[in-house]
Amino acid sequence: MPHSNQTTRVEDILSKHLDGRKCWQARRHLLDTKDLTNAEIDCAMALASEFKKFRSQHLPPMDVLSGKTIANVFYENSTRTRSSFELAAKSLGATVLNFDVGSSSVSKGETILDTARTLASMDIDCIVQRHSSSGSCHQLAQQLGDQLHFVNAGDGWNGHPTQGLLDAFTMLEVLGSLKGAKVSIVGDITHSRVARSNIWLLQKLGAEVHVAGPTTLIPAGLDKLGVKVHYELEPAIKNADFIMALRLQLERQKQGLLASIGEYKKLYRIDHKCLSLAKPNVKVMHPGPLNRGIEITSDLADDPNLSLIETQVKNGVAIRMAVFYLLLNGN
Amino acid sequence: MQQSLFIKSVLVVDPANKKQEVMDVRIKDGLIAGCGANLKAEDGDCQIDGKNLWLTPGFVDIHTHLRDLGQSDKEDIQTGTKSAAAGGYTKVLAMANTDPPIDSAPILTLLLKKIEEQACVKVYPVATVTKGMSGEELTPMVDLARMGVQAFSDDGMPVSNLGVLRRAFEHAKLAGRTIISHAEDHDLTAGGCMHEGPQATALGLPGIPYASEAACVAREIEVVRQTGGTLHFGHISTAISVDLIAQAKKQGLKVTADTTPHHLTLSADDIKEYDTSFKMNPPLRTEADQKALVEALVNGTLDAIATDHAPHTKMEKSLPFDKAPFGVIGLETALPLTLEKLVKTKRLTPLQFISLFTDKPSTIIGISPYILKPGEQADLALIDPELSWQYDASKGMSKSCNSPFHLRNMTGKVLLTIAQGKVAYQDELNLSSRISGKLQTATK
Repeated sequence: MPHSNQTTRVEDILSKHLDGRKCWQARRHLLDTKDLTNAEIDCAMALASEFKKFRSQHLPPMDVLSGKTIANVFYENSTRTRSSFELAAKSLGATVLNFDVGSSSVSKGETILDTARTLASMDIDCIVQRHSSSGSCHQLAQQLGDQLHFVNAGDGWNGHPTQGLLDAFTMLEVLGSLKGAKVSIVGDITHSRVARSNIWLLQKLGAEVHVAGPTTLIPAGLDKLGVKVHYELEPAIKNADFIMALRLQLERQKQGLLASIGEYKKLYRIDHKCLSLAKPNVKVMHPGPLNRGIEITSDLADDPNLSLIETQVKNGVAIRMAVFYLLLNGN
Repeated sequence: MQQSLFIKSVLVVDPANKKQEVMDVRIKDGLIAGCGANLKAEDGDCQIDGKNLWLTPGFVDIHTHLRDLGQSDKEDIQTGTKSAAAGGYTKVLAMANTDPPIDSAPILTLLLKKIEEQACVKVYPVATVTKGMSGEELTPMVDLARMGVQAFSDDGMPVSNLGVLRRAFEHAKLAGRTIISHAEDHDLTAGGCMHEGPQATALGLPGIPYASEAACVAREIEVVRQTGGTLHFGHISTAISVDLIAQAKKQGLKVTADTTPHHLTLSADDIKEYDTSFKMNPPLRTEADQKALVEALVNGTLDAIATDHAPHTKMEKSLPFDKAPFGVIGLETALPLTLEKLVKTKRLTPLQFISLFTDKPSTIIGISPYILKPGEQADLALIDPELSWQYDASKGMSKSCNSPFHLRNMTGKVLLTIAQGKVAYQDELNLSSRISGKLQTATK
């Protein structure tokens, strides 16, 4: 048994997070960061730490999820996120089905509910879904939740909980605790599920969340949800511990939400210079994929002392392993 | 109605007559045979103990989507009018945004035939303002009015070209009919699917701003001022629109407005996470708007309550929130919801309240208000204002069950509806302890 040590260590960690584990055992889906308890978050973080070490050793897969089948159903293209989920599932010994939406009956008008039902009939254990409609995964979980586990890999503008978790994990690796830490999210907040998942989660962890972006791209009433809203970059990044630049969808210009890309760069691009306002040990993050030179300068994105972008990607696999383990092992 | 019916000691609430008093009412051969104190029942009368019940004129809904033609998987004339009868309605205005829309004489003829064959309450057809609801070419309003169209509306697809709207007002005047406005600026709505604010932001859903309704109300009021036309605003949802309408009325412009039971009783805070039975247009606004709507009904800025009954199939409503169609059903829940909101709280007397469902909406669309008196055809609703019951949308008369009030506990219920002299609905279970004899519900 090559991994008996590994499995013991995982169980060891879980035994130190009994409350969190209990919550996870009662939970069937990961739809949002909104309803995660702090015990659940701590438990997932501890487990991800262990899985990160495991991945770095280049060992054969564990067998803790052998016999489980996980389907990646991505209605929006995303090679990066899908690959990360796939690696996470395979590292735990699960079978992975990448459901090809483009060439399936979905393109003939089948509903997401029918697609999920079809997969449930094939005795799939878990669906990882990305879809352009906010709440689409919640609705499926309500309809088919007793037959399948659902992991939301992005629903419209609403949520991308594993991204939120991996970002928080990455920040925790740097600071140890996020109590009182200032995190600034910069860019198109309105259309960003990454921003939302981060906001809810970081607030639970005690961080002070600031956002900055053009008036057209900050959603109405965000200030009423405990977020400090700025329309200029400087106050947002002043004394920040972390600055997260969001990807700018270039089609926003056509929708009249941006005057020009040039103007956006002048007002909101994160570069070395603006970091002088932030805390001395500030770190810069980005959920990817990058528009180099638009929301962040290329030099900064590649600066090993300041940028956590590659660490985020690495941590993504570990967090997704933790989520799969907690949802599927023993449930 | 072949049989005769005697309702003893019932509180007659008759707004057009300004009368609210306990009396006995006898109905024979579909007509009101007598009403007054200490009437005698006659042999063979089916008798109902009316103690603590209200007898009112049949309700008038000036905003109903019956869906026939072409969308009968959502609703048809038969199920829609049965649902109306179950809610106490004896007259409904059938909205014109069907498939095809009611925009020409031949299509109207088809609809009138269906109504003749299938309706168990009076259905007044609405025709569109513009052909195909394209907002461009006007429909033949005078012809359509002569054939029986009672009002005109491009509900769902508001006329955005004010030049067209101006001519529409002028033609409607010629036709002697009211235009019902769906006040919405589609460019401001811009794909929104619930009220713009923290609730939409928290759910990651695109919002519909206040201005989407209010800006449209403001500019249409100016066209009314220009033309001297009459305009009725349907389903008003915001405090700002209420202010604009109050101001226009003060200036003597011929505008009227209604709001819906759901806008009076729910706000964006009540929306259950991604539950599409809370998705309607206009959207549920804030608690402050809800309060302003109640106030506007009390002070007369708003003239009526209308349901905007908008059935959709389960399949359509099971789509993701942003893709599911707008609309909720409402005929069977309008009375208890608003009774609780307006009468139980003592904001309105029963007479003022029933007026919002009867003579006031009638006047808006040019139907003479019904007066409950001997010799009139019976067109009545018998209501138990205290009855507690649980609403189950799946067991209603409507073909659809897209209601945000599913499984809600209600107080107040319609027990019997007599439309055009015939029993259109009876709640046998709750009548059983009060009735001696048997009433036959008309079959259609």
